[in-house]
Amino acid sequence: MAKTLKYAYYPGCASQAVTKEANSTTRKVAKILGIELHDMPKANCCGAGLLTDYDYDLSVALNARIFAQAEEIGMDIMTICSTCLMVMSTANRDLKSDPKLLEKTNAILAAAGLRYNGTIEVKQLLWVLAEDYGLENLKKKVAMPLKNLKVAPFYGCHSLRPSDALGFDDPERTWSLEAVITILGAEVVEYEGKNKCCGFQVDMITEDTAVEMTGKRLLDAKNEGGNCMVTPCPFCHINLDNYQGMAERKLNMKIGMPVFHLAQLVGLAMGMTAEDLELSRHLVSAKDVLKEANLL
Amino acid sequence: MKIKIKISRCDPMGKGWCEPFLQAYDIEVKEGMTILDAIHLVKDVQDGTLAFRRSCRSAICGSCAVNINGFPKLACKTQLITEYRKKESMVIEPLSNHRVIKDLVVDFNPFWDKINKVEPWLNRKSAISHQPSAVSKKDVLKIDNSSKCIMCGCCNGACNTLEIDKHFIAPAALAKAWRFVGDVREGEKKKRLEKLSEAHGMWDCVRCVNCTQYCPKDVAPLQAIERLRAEAINQGVIDNHGAKHVKSMVDSVKRVGRLDEAAMTFKTLGFLRSLGMIPFGLKMEMHGKMPMPLIFPQIEKIEEVKKIYEEIEKRKEQVEVKVEK
Repeated sequence: MAKTLKYAYYPGCASQAVTKEANSTTRKVAKILGIELHDMPKANCCGAGLLTDYDYDLSVALNARIFAQAEEIGMDIMTICSTCLMVMSTANRDLKSDPKLLEKTNAILAAAGLRYNGTIEVKQLLWVLAEDYGLENLKKKVAMPLKNLKVAPFYGCHSLRPSDALGFDDPERTWSLEAVITILGAEVVEYEGKNKCCGFQVDMITEDTAVEMTGKRLLDAKNEGGNCMVTPCPFCHINLDNYQGMAERKLNMKIGMPVFHLAQLVGLAMGMTAEDLELSRHLVSAKDVLKEANLL
Repeated sequence: MKIKIKISRCDPMGKGWCEPFLQAYDIEVKEGMTILDAIHLVKDVQDGTLAFRRSCRSAICGSCAVNINGFPKLACKTQLITEYRKKESMVIEPLSNHRVIKDLVVDFNPFWDKINKVEPWLNRKSAISHQPSAVSKKDVLKIDNSSKCIMCGCCNGACNTLEIDKHFIAPAALAKAWRFVGDVREGEKKKRLEKLSEAHGMWDCVRCVNCTQYCPKDVAPLQAIERLRAEAINQGVIDNHGAKHVKSMVDSVKRVGRLDEAAMTFKTLGFLRSLGMIPFGLKMEMHGKMPMPLIFPQIEKIEEVKKIYEEIEKRKEQVEVKVEK
């Protein structure tokens, strides 16, 4: 590759706590691929949509504060959370398309001595792999093709919609996650729920809806022959993995579907071990599926 | 060009229930043809028994919403060839999340029940007078998107919460609710927001963004939902898990700059429901997944975040003073 890829790295709150394994694996994978990730120790939470439910101006200003830091180091942002991606991208779309909003936001930021000029882009790991790094280059790094893995891609909502703010993949004809799975040597499983919601946003509000939704997505993938899932979003992972037991109880049946973070699936194909990938942190064990596929 | 389109067929013939199946039709398509043109063509020359709804053919009446290759769209506003080329196939089905009456015709009664539930009329602050009550352009703009709704049902058809919970009030009615809650002349804002905060109400939205993505008139129902929620908190309608969840996030970001999961769980669910989370928490802990309260490090330069909060508060107060004047 001609030029080293550099990003202002924004793992998001979830991957600094509950889904730490997504963060650490991303760092390891990036190192092997030669992608430079620059930490943003000052970066605040994007609000996960909850701040827009409180005060739109506050939400936009806090997101602009994150962008200002990326501008300071002159890099685009790469996140590993779809919700962060959606929240930041919609704020960025509004700021870039509405000069009055940018001016107003900068007047608010000025109170903290900050300014955003509207020059950065927000991306997620999936896009970086599929486009910036490139599938052909990724293929060269595959040491252990994931043969025998039948992977159900789970986009969830926020890496696809609203497409006028995200503008990368087509929610009606997705390709990026499928392409990465294929390059890694695994089989893509098609199923209806891949671009639907995992239910995370109402986990603490209407748990019944959340659990039933999670169960439906998992079962859908399983019924189409999937033996594991992969998602670019840590919130989706929380529901699909951590809430899977609750979904099984609600549906009164065993699902047993291991769910990988995108970086973990990539790392696995690059020959990283289960310890490297911190697979033991998942509530649904991937051991049997990986053994069966001769990948352990 | 000749293409094959598949249309979902279903005829209860008095039984009250039917199993839908896809019927294929070969049709000759021309550039510029819409999906509705194709459906008409099938009915006119191939199969007079096909049932569908349509009226204006100009994306105004909102009658012809169907699922086109799996996604809800107005048949009259969607180009056939463009859509066909996306997948080299064409499947036309009735709107999801609605009971099928026959073929592409679905039962819209639940849709209207939801709209009726939000009382889609203005409850004026003051008695009706013969004087016109002027509304400023800025105030109209706040509810302008919601006013554009043509009640086609695309948003409800795409809604992921409605897929699971048929009692959910759903995006169309919520966008309509904002049309009135956001109206400066409205006198019953708080009462409306209390009702909307009940179970199956506005806080049950999972933010799948499908409503905004598939609205053919740019109503942006999700934005209306966000505005309703913000207005509810602003009016002090906060005795529910949804509003508490938002408030705990607002506090958490102000305090440490990010999401403090342990504190948020506690603040959202309260003491008793948090106790119920303990078995789940222990399982999480076994895998090192339990978020630990208090030791969550705060971000660098948290004072910048606090200053942004203060600036926002200051601006809100200024607006309030202006309104009082």
